Amino acid sequence: MITIKEFTQIVETHGTEPTHWPAELRGECSAFVANSAAARSLIHQQQKVENLLDQIIAPDFPTLESRVVNQLLPKHTGSVFDQILNWLLPQNGLGKNIWRPAMVACLPLMFGIVIGNFYSFGVDLGNDGFAYWDDELIMLSLNDYTENLF
Amino acid sequence: MTEEELMMAVCRGDQSAYQAVVKLHLKSISHYAFRILGNQKDTEDITQEAFLKLWTNAARWNPEKSKLTTWLHRITHNLCVDYIRKHSRVQTQDSFDENIESSEFDDADADENNRKVKLLNEAIKQLPQNQRSALALCHYQGFSNKEAAAIMNISVKALESAIARAKRSLRQLVTEESDQRQKL
Repeated sequence: MITIKEFTQIVETHGTEPTHWPAELRGECSAFVANSAAARSLIHQQQKVENLLDQIIAPDFPTLESRVVNQLLPKHTGSVFDQILNWLLPQNGLGKNIWRPAMVACLPLMFGIVIGNFYSFGVDLGNDGFAYWDDELIMLSLNDYTENLF
Repeated sequence: MTEEELMMAVCRGDQSAYQAVVKLHLKSISHYAFRILGNQKDTEDITQEAFLKLWTNAARWNPEKSKLTTWLHRITHNLCVDYIRKHSRVQTQDSFDENIESSEFDDADADENNRKVKLLNEAIKQLPQNQRSALALCHYQGFSNKEAAAIMNISVKALESAIARAKRSLRQLVTEESDQRQKL
């Protein structure tokens, strides 16, 4: 059986309309209202408050729509990829004046590195480097440098 | 055009889609801000900022997670809370007083009714910010308790506690006032 305290909590939380009460308690609440004068009095008082609340109307703001619509909207920056691309290759500002010539100046260097890496120009990079350098060190250690000292 | 299509257009930078969204939601957003802030100047500033945020963060709205109105109310709520924190007070004006509906009453009853509404309005202004927000969202903006809790970023239990406290104190005020009038 529901108590007046529990019913008060329901009315304060969900309002006076039985349709707004929790579905699982609606039947019990309705029966409680039918049998309890205190519950009916509570509903009556709460309805009074809700009627008074309904009479408090917020004003309209006639100039607000044009203000909001005509406000200066920033340009959309796009996706993260676009932002990174824009950071790397800026469309405007100081970056455009300095960064772009620097990037262009770097192009021959980059081109050289790529070409150098692609055509090894007679340097055989296919050898096992470690074995090769080990052999070289052993050979160097076997050299007789004594004659150079005199 | 559905709200989803409108927002996709806003993401692409379509200003006419932005205007359509503004037309759809301006009234409820400005009313909510007014019920929290209580004066015209701040309401207009916050509403403008809320729609600016909608424009810049349009891509962040997830239609599967929340309705556009819920998302917009959440932006507005956060802006209002930040504003109140920064200014540590709410500057209210008497704009509500000019908007009291009293047509259904006779002169004497209308006076009595207007006096009660003004009293209630003053009491609402004195409520803590979370109770005022809960009341505005659930009673005036028509959100369910779950939606209002999501807007305020609190649990449904906390929201229900706030709204119950607000309604209890308003009911007690009206009841006490009626009792005093009857004694006189």
